[in-house]
Amino acid sequence: MQKLSDLQYLKLTKLQRLWYNLTLFFFSIPGWFLKLGRSILGFFKKVGSGFINFFVDIGTTFSKGNWAVKLSFFIFGFGNLYYGQIMRGLFFLLFELVFIAYMLVPSGGIYWLQKGQWFQKGATIGTVQGGSSYDPIFDTEVWHAGDDSVKVMLYGLLTILFIIAFIYTWRLQVKQCGICMDITAQGKKIKSGKDDLRSLVDDQFHKTLLSLPIFGILAFTVLPIIFMVLVAFTSYDAAHDGYSNLFSWVGLDNFNALFDFGSGGLGLAFGEILSWTLMWSFFATFTNYFLGMFVAILINKKGIKFKKFWRTVLVMTIAIPQFVSLLYVSKLFDDSGIIGKLLLELGWFPQALLDMNINSLWDHETSARILLIVINIWIGIPYIMLMATGILMNIPSDLYESSRVDGANAFQQYTRITLPYMLFVTGPYLLTSFVGNLNNFNVIYLLTSGNPLNTEIGTAGGASIGSTDLLITWLFKMTLGSTDAQYYSASIIGILIFVVVAVLSLIVYNVIPSTKNEEDFK
Amino acid sequence: MAKKIANENANPARTKRSMGVKVGRRISNTFVYIVLILMTVIWLFPFFGIVLESFRVETPQQVSYLWPKEFGWDNYYKLFNETDFMRWFINTGFMGICTAFLQVFFILSVSYTLSRMRFKGRKFLMNFMLILGMFPGFLTMILIYKVFAEAGLTMEMAPVGLIIVYCASSGMGYYVSKGFFDTIPKSLDEAARVDGATRFQVFYKVIMPMAKPIVIYTILMGFMAPWGDFMTASYIIHENSEGMNVAVGMYEWLSKTNLNTHYTMFCAGGVVVAVPVTALFLMLQKYYVEGVTGGAVKG
Amino acid sequence: MKKFLCATLALIMCLGLFAGCAPAADNNGGNTGADLSGTYDITMWVSEKEGVADQFQSQIDAFEAANPGITINAKIEGVTEADAASKVIADVATAPDLYCFAQDQLARLVQAAALAKPGKAAQDVIIANNDSGSVTAVKVAGEIYAYPMTSDNGYYMYYDKSIITEEDAKDLAKLVAACEKSGKKFRFALENAWYTAAFFFATGCEHTWTTDANGDFTSVNDTFNSDKGMIAMKGMQILAKSTAYDSDADKFTDAGVIVTGTWNAEAAKTHFGNNLAATKLPSFTVDGKTYQLGSYSGYKMMGVKPQTDAKRGAVLQLLAQFLTNEENQLARFNSFGWGPSNVKAQANEAVKANESLAALAAQNAFAVPQGQIAGVFWDNAKLLGAVAKAATSDAELQKGLDDYTKALDAFTSLTPAQRAAFTVIGGIKDTGWGTDFEMKEDPKGTWTSVEAFDLTAGTEFKVRQGMGWKVAFGDNTANADTSIPLSDKPNYKVEAAGKYYIQLVVAEDGQTAVINLVAAN
Repeated sequence: MQKLSDLQYLKLTKLQRLWYNLTLFFFSIPGWFLKLGRSILGFFKKVGSGFINFFVDIGTTFSKGNWAVKLSFFIFGFGNLYYGQIMRGLFFLLFELVFIAYMLVPSGGIYWLQKGQWFQKGATIGTVQGGSSYDPIFDTEVWHAGDDSVKVMLYGLLTILFIIAFIYTWRLQVKQCGICMDITAQGKKIKSGKDDLRSLVDDQFHKTLLSLPIFGILAFTVLPIIFMVLVAFTSYDAAHDGYSNLFSWVGLDNFNALFDFGSGGLGLAFGEILSWTLMWSFFATFTNYFLGMFVAILINKKGIKFKKFWRTVLVMTIAIPQFVSLLYVSKLFDDSGIIGKLLLELGWFPQALLDMNINSLWDHETSARILLIVINIWIGIPYIMLMATGILMNIPSDLYESSRVDGANAFQQYTRITLPYMLFVTGPYLLTSFVGNLNNFNVIYLLTSGNPLNTEIGTAGGASIGSTDLLITWLFKMTLGSTDAQYYSASIIGILIFVVVAVLSLIVYNVIPSTKNEEDFK
Repeated sequence: MAKKIANENANPARTKRSMGVKVGRRISNTFVYIVLILMTVIWLFPFFGIVLESFRVETPQQVSYLWPKEFGWDNYYKLFNETDFMRWFINTGFMGICTAFLQVFFILSVSYTLSRMRFKGRKFLMNFMLILGMFPGFLTMILIYKVFAEAGLTMEMAPVGLIIVYCASSGMGYYVSKGFFDTIPKSLDEAARVDGATRFQVFYKVIMPMAKPIVIYTILMGFMAPWGDFMTASYIIHENSEGMNVAVGMYEWLSKTNLNTHYTMFCAGGVVVAVPVTALFLMLQKYYVEGVTGGAVKG
Repeated sequence: MKKFLCATLALIMCLGLFAGCAPAADNNGGNTGADLSGTYDITMWVSEKEGVADQFQSQIDAFEAANPGITINAKIEGVTEADAASKVIADVATAPDLYCFAQDQLARLVQAAALAKPGKAAQDVIIANNDSGSVTAVKVAGEIYAYPMTSDNGYYMYYDKSIITEEDAKDLAKLVAACEKSGKKFRFALENAWYTAAFFFATGCEHTWTTDANGDFTSVNDTFNSDKGMIAMKGMQILAKSTAYDSDADKFTDAGVIVTGTWNAEAAKTHFGNNLAATKLPSFTVDGKTYQLGSYSGYKMMGVKPQTDAKRGAVLQLLAQFLTNEENQLARFNSFGWGPSNVKAQANEAVKANESLAALAAQNAFAVPQGQIAGVFWDNAKLLGAVAKAATSDAELQKGLDDYTKALDAFTSLTPAQRAAFTVIGGIKDTGWGTDFEMKEDPKGTWTSVEAFDLTAGTEFKVRQGMGWKVAFGDNTANADTSIPLSDKPNYKVEAAGKYYIQLVVAEDGQTAVINLVAAN
């Protein structure tokens, strides 16, 4: 596909331009995948070379280093101590001692790693199964706790992370010793512990600020996510909860269910739910977007009074906690609710549903889905209205001035100036909002809990599935709502949600110009 | 002045620039008023309804008429005297306040650092958090629940556990406030640095005073979060009435077994929850608007 | 710094783990009447209904008074009995010490090791004092796991006397017509498997499961997908296709008729007032034949979580026994209308006079005791109600039934080898007809039980294939008689007591067989 120069492009008619843009879009798709492939490849190359460099670096330091540096290969922080960095040296030394102690003490690191029987297909995670026995003295049963697979897995994982941290620290301190040696050789002064502390509020201030937030993210997001990804390879479910019954490694067996497209199969359910999830996200995002913008334009119209009042009224839906408003609204629309009843009495209730003997809009797939989108407009318009109000005020007024001179009417001004500007500025927001809707638990769960039931799928992943279930509510039901909870299926679905979101983001980032360089419009 | 012109021009109904402008505008404005009044009715109807139903005395069930036959405070009386509502309300308020202040600390630290400082690994950190954000956060609850259960941070201690959950990873939500910091000129920092201020002093003495809107926005968001959270909370609380937040506690009232006896009480509870939160929100609305707008533009 | 925190954290976690293990109990006291005195902090889950928790607290106070030396600090939470099991299973480690639940969850709880068996003395008390249905209900594979608490977990019908005559209340079509005429609702939760089953039981369909001693479901006997099932589907349509039908039977709005249970007795009284009438479910007519609607009869029970400390376990068992005794069951009947399982409490005059319990008793004549049932049934049978409502042709009804069977098959998912294999089932080893015992096939095609059984004279058993009842051999005369269908042979009766291996020799055509008892040395 040949790219046109600006001049050539301007010569095209409207229709040709549209055609040109469309073809350009589709021709660029293979390019993204190529780019994606290349960047993935690049990533692995980087990792590979990093790995090699790691050893090369270490080797050089060792061969070039003096005896103090060489010794610090075995005794952490020895080099630092030797060169007078007492604080750092002691810190490293302490780290090494703690590590060694932790690994070797009974029921320390090595113990946990062994208990986990990592990745041995068919082996249980943890080795001692709990059980009860009869106690004749008290005429009762006594429970003898065994291993808890969840704990064994968690401690094993922590131990592995600890080992990685140990290797990293080992390299870090060796490198630092090398640097100290070089600096001393050049006759310069080495940073003291006092300097280190001072730099934490100055040069290295980012470390101080970031340490706690990053620790939080590592402990409460990264670690659990790694854990959950591992769960996909185990038989962790309600019947094998780790405490009462150990669960075991099953390799890739769980993923086979994804290719089961029969009734109750994970594959069928995933396909069906994903298609509704995407449909929902699309409508929820764009209906809100355009209607919200429309309302913003209405309120900002010249000559309209009480602007603040109108805005405040709309903002009420943001201010009031969703569980209050959504639960109440869902009841309003059911067959004994005020609005549901009113529709029936006024004869406005869809005849097609009455023919099927359905008298609540929530009880049929199509009507429930439409109603969800409509109620979501009620919830969502205010956000966009507020946002659009701010952005509209920022549009350079001379754009309108000149277009008016050219004789453009209001509608043309909207399609040629307002909309493109809005789209340009809010491109990233649209993506965030699309992803947000993809995982919009509250609106769906509080309004319908996923109902009405989907007779075609029935149950999948240990949860009974409704026609309005999103992937995220399915995930919730899989883990909490049922005695047949399948944590491993939840893990697989979680991974798939990640894949869906990642692919979408990738596409959007490649299509929307404003995401590439946010400085453009400044 | 520029703003005013922009508003005028955003007028979609305006088509002519002639003698008829005024008449045309009056007609189109009437149309706009009709739409806005209609919207006001639709937007306020549920809230109006919930308040009315909360005063209904004759039956606690769901009914198909709006205006109560008998008004009274019975539901409110029962709410505070016969249920654990007060406890849930205090729990949620406690969580709201703690979450608000901890989150401010976490989010501002991250966003300020990423906006103002350039260091090795910054880009990596941002990409890493972006990718992490693509995992459904709920997935983490399975492990967190187990660890918290072991540590005694579930059930009646759930409020503490939930505060940790809400705050620990909140650094990942730095986008809006980073967008704000990006707009503060860097020359301010540099001037202060030249005068010998450490980075900490710059942060504390120069930037913070200017960041009031975003601080208030972050506090507001943090405070609101526990009031609306159902998914995480129901997991950690594990059915323990003492540890519930209002959302989980009151959700049960609309379950099939309770609906016949608790419907109007739910409405009353809803009003009690909504009034303070809404009042606070409307008071701080200005800052919220700044956050939303800034966040959207910066993405 | 971060790494250091990690390290300390890991260490602290390790320490915490070991602090969690409680030391074993001191061995004080003899074989009987062991000293149980002490102070116990316990947690308890009971029905979330208003006032229930308070009543349990006062009963615990009474327990303390009756057992001097024992102090109980109970924390009582209201948790819906329907959800209790799934919450307990979700986290057995922190589950409450005592909890109430509905019987259909018993097997899953046993499987999750969330129930401690009552002691031998307590088991005798349970058997002696409760009705036989409830005693069966607390058993898994022949062992008692919980204390019966109520025998009222079934459903029947309330209706409005002012619009429906007593005579009309006996026929589904007439009830529907009366509701339509007066613009009232017929509320029946057909989209809930527990209620959907009523129509299938009416036409004689069956649905039972077998479990092994671990509480794992091994096989299902299900005849919903049959001609009888088709009639049931059509019966459901009499109601489901009516404008008066409403599947939400937890609400009373506009109700003319509602099918529900004792838990809604209060609400029914408020709603119907003086026009309240309670009775058994009606019958329906399809193709000229009339069928009386069946139902599930169910029980609620109280269970004790397994304890690591024997003494504490014994106290909890004693407490559970106390809380479910005659006096306390009667107290709950008086306060909440819960129908007792205790036979003496059942004989109480007030209980006998209760209108709702009378209706339940009338319906119980047609009820099927609800044994252990896998979740797959609840999740899929409820769809049948939805299918009946939506279907416009017999083919659609049939498709619904086929989907249902598919889901069950997927769940039981026996391997082909398991489907072909024979197993022994029957009154052997005290486990009753709930457990299959494995058999092995030798190269000549003879099946022999893996273990030898101590059989007493008169013991009955069968040898069946694929853990189902389509092919099941029993009495040898019948086994040789091809006129008796393979699914309908009488049981094999042991003549002389002894320790035997059970052996099955199947003829080549697979139609006849001989069962031998081979004495074990």
